[in-house]
Amino acid sequence: MDPLRAQQLAAELEVEMMADMYNRMTQACHRKCVPPHYKESELSKGECVCLDRCVAKYLEVHERMGKKLTELSLQDEELLKRMQQGTGSA
Amino acid sequence: AAPPPSAPGEPAPPPPPLQYSLLLQHLVGDKRQPRVWDPAALGGIPCPPKSEEQKMVERGMERCPFKAALACRGGGFVLGGAFGIFTAGIDTNVGFDPKDPYRTPTAKEVLKDMGQRGISYAKNFAIVGAMFSCTECVVESYRGKSDWKNSVISGCITGGAIGFRAGLKAGVIGCGGFAAFSAAVDYYLR
Repeated sequence: MDPLRAQQLAAELEVEMMADMYNRMTQACHRKCVPPHYKESELSKGECVCLDRCVAKYLEVHERMGKKLTELSLQDEELLKRMQQGTGSA
Repeated sequence: AAPPPSAPGEPAPPPPPLQYSLLLQHLVGDKRQPRVWDPAALGGIPCPPKSEEQKMVERGMERCPFKAALACRGGGFVLGGAFGIFTAGIDTNVGFDPKDPYRTPTAKEVLKDMGQRGISYAKNFAIVGAMFSCTECVVESYRGKSDWKNSVISGCITGGAIGFRAGLKAGVIGCGGFAAFSAAVDYYLR
């Protein structure tokens, strides 16, 4: 598979992935930071601060997990290649 | 190497396996392209984007000192002024002439006294209000929650700071008293 084809496929998948991540992030941060007491419609200062922190943490976790996942998949593929070469030469 | 052209009747060669690592690198790894994401496209509710000035003004209004200044000027000063004028009306000892104890004070003296008292009370109330509001905002930013404990903690800090100048015990009493007062007001408001 050539890099250009991979990039095109990744661009198509990225939109879906980002939409899913946005929805999950909204749900999770709303559940954690906004308690279900609806005395007033405005977000209080504590809730605003909490939401900022929640989003920052979520995005950082997403980034780290992505990097770790690519690392692991590279290692897996190298292992697979080595095994195939081993069985091919044998 | 190009795959050999398959003669009709032979099965087509199997497609090369999907190379996940390359795909992942473009998707979540290092070869990702930076993009501008619009929340409306991702599934949020579409709304016109806020201009930079609007964002700056909103961020400024959310800041703690602004809210403290608002409480100080609006609430504290006005309330303190009213309280001062009220107590001046009740507890008058102005214009007391030792030579002539039964002389009623002149209107000018009474008004001057009311004004002075009102201003001094207003200043005190304004300072206390600003301190309380500032500490409450800071505590709320630190905790990230908005419930009744914020008022109690900031009431304790404000009362303690005020009372501390008169000694440690007065500081503790001030802390407890102010915290109880804030808790009562909060309970009433929620």
